[in-house]
Amino acid sequence: MSNKVTIRRLATGVPGLDVILGGGLPEFSFNLIIGPPGSGKTTLAHQIMFALATRERPALYFTVLGEPPLKMLRYQQQFSFFDLDQINESIRFVDLSGDVSTGNFDQVLARITQAVADFSPALVFVDSFCSVMLEAQRQLEGAISLQQFVQQLGILLTGWQATTFLVGEYSLESETHPVFTVADGMLLLDQSVHRNSMVRKIQILKMRGQATSPGIHTFRISSAGIVVFPAAVVRDDTGTAVTADRAPRNEARLAMGVSRLDDMLGGGLPSGYSLLVAGPSGSGKTILATAFLAEGVRRGEPGVIVAFEQTPSQSRTRTIDEMVRTGQIGLINTRVLDLSIDEIVQHLIDLIHQMKATRVVIDSLSGFELAVAPTFREDFRESLFRMVAVLAGLGVTVLLTSELEDRYIDLRFSPYGSAFLTDAIIVQRYIEVESRLKRVMAVVKVRGSAHSDELRQFEITDKGIVIGDPVLGFEGILGGQPRRTPASGTVD
Amino acid sequence: MDHEAIRRTLAQGAGEAPDASAIAEATLNTWHQVATRLAPVVGVHGVDAIFSRSLHVTSKDFPWLAMAGNDGNDGNSAALLASLKARLAGQETAAAAEASHALLVNFTELLATLIGESLTDRLLAPVWMPPLPAAEQEITS
Repeated sequence: MSNKVTIRRLATGVPGLDVILGGGLPEFSFNLIIGPPGSGKTTLAHQIMFALATRERPALYFTVLGEPPLKMLRYQQQFSFFDLDQINESIRFVDLSGDVSTGNFDQVLARITQAVADFSPALVFVDSFCSVMLEAQRQLEGAISLQQFVQQLGILLTGWQATTFLVGEYSLESETHPVFTVADGMLLLDQSVHRNSMVRKIQILKMRGQATSPGIHTFRISSAGIVVFPAAVVRDDTGTAVTADRAPRNEARLAMGVSRLDDMLGGGLPSGYSLLVAGPSGSGKTILATAFLAEGVRRGEPGVIVAFEQTPSQSRTRTIDEMVRTGQIGLINTRVLDLSIDEIVQHLIDLIHQMKATRVVIDSLSGFELAVAPTFREDFRESLFRMVAVLAGLGVTVLLTSELEDRYIDLRFSPYGSAFLTDAIIVQRYIEVESRLKRVMAVVKVRGSAHSDELRQFEITDKGIVIGDPVLGFEGILGGQPRRTPASGTVD
Repeated sequence: MDHEAIRRTLAQGAGEAPDASAIAEATLNTWHQVATRLAPVVGVHGVDAIFSRSLHVTSKDFPWLAMAGNDGNDGNSAALLASLKARLAGQETAAAAEASHALLVNFTELLATLIGESLTDRLLAPVWMPPLPAAEQEITS
């Protein structure tokens, strides 16, 4: 009974793009690739073309008035996807600038029709289309209008069973433009410059008949071409949403690699939890994180660390270096200042899969915030939320460190208000006892589990963190200046 | 870049014991094939621009070629080519052959510096392929 048409989806060959398109590009669709100059439109078009074109599925690339074809070929050749063997085999270029400059669209349409009839392309690219529109302003009397032209082109190419891409610089203000209505798909590329960082963004404004990933995704252009980093999507757990692809949290608990800390956590950190370790500079957060990873390695649970330290070789402990060198844990170390969180998350997910990692350390959120391009900082909390959710979805156990200035008048766990995001919190503090700076640590929360409520003194030795006994006989510890409680003997 | 292929193509086009006007004729024919191959890919304006430049470069060795650029109207490639043809035909046979060869070599090399040697070879290979008289005879006979 059901004889509905099945639309085949083409894999674009651009990493990450198919994901945000909702599973690839619908065959025979009429698409616009739009964006300001330099946003990567022509590169995207070429990358898709070289990936999709075959002898059986040839591509025609019409160059109009935009970039002179000579230059386009010169520069596009620099990308590794540019395969010379495909030129004049599966890919053919047709220059239309001469026809367009006459303003006679009948003639342009005739040229396109002729070329399409001769070559029977399965893929057609017109670059750039905005120049066609500008020329339209001085079109000849009695010739078909631009709107008719675009509609006829759309019908012609769909009729010829060609998947079509119009490349152009449109501004979204002209949203009423006929092309926007005719198009089945619209890909908007953009680049935003904030201070001295530049971030490339892509948005799928429209893609008929399929669920795209809404919102703005980031991408990067390297010598291999474009790589899209889909914005981390938080899976919806409401209703019938499958919980199957969310890794089930088992009852297992992970040893932290610091004796007595597991007891404080109520028997170790529950598997799949995220733990925030907050404390002032030098309080031992990275050492705790290192112990967590080393313990994992000892137990055959591979780990990954994302380090945002400014001088990694100095501040990362030797243990981490050794574990990375021997391939026991994966390291993402970045000091680039124009990252998007999605890009980091993508790298992280890849590395987690590659290492089959179950333990993840992000050291630290403060460094992370610095590394993220300024334009994303406003949304840092939201992005953090998404990242933690995605990692939870993978079933890994995450330890995040967060630098927290010691403030003795209030008790805070994170500067981002992100404490609620994590399942467990450990806080570290300095206190002054008898004119010495001592460290104390406490487990603030472990969701759904009993845990210690004691403030424990601890020391950092050559062997790592050594947790001492509960600090008894004092009060006002969190105020930074503990006083002996009257009951505990000597009162002065 | 196979310079000999260009020489062979020109020689074949000019026929046996050619005079300067036969060489001019062959040069123009070869040039039309080159332009036909290239224009769709790099655009007519692109082809014209590189051609003007290679004419300019070649005229350093063959000063009489420089005039070809000035005879025609600016931007009128048909007039330019007609002028080129007349200039070639007016030379000694050997000089015409050398200039014609140098012009096409300079053109392909200039194109190669812009779009790379492999793409240039790929686009122009069909032009340099010497005609196959043997195969043609088989078909016609």
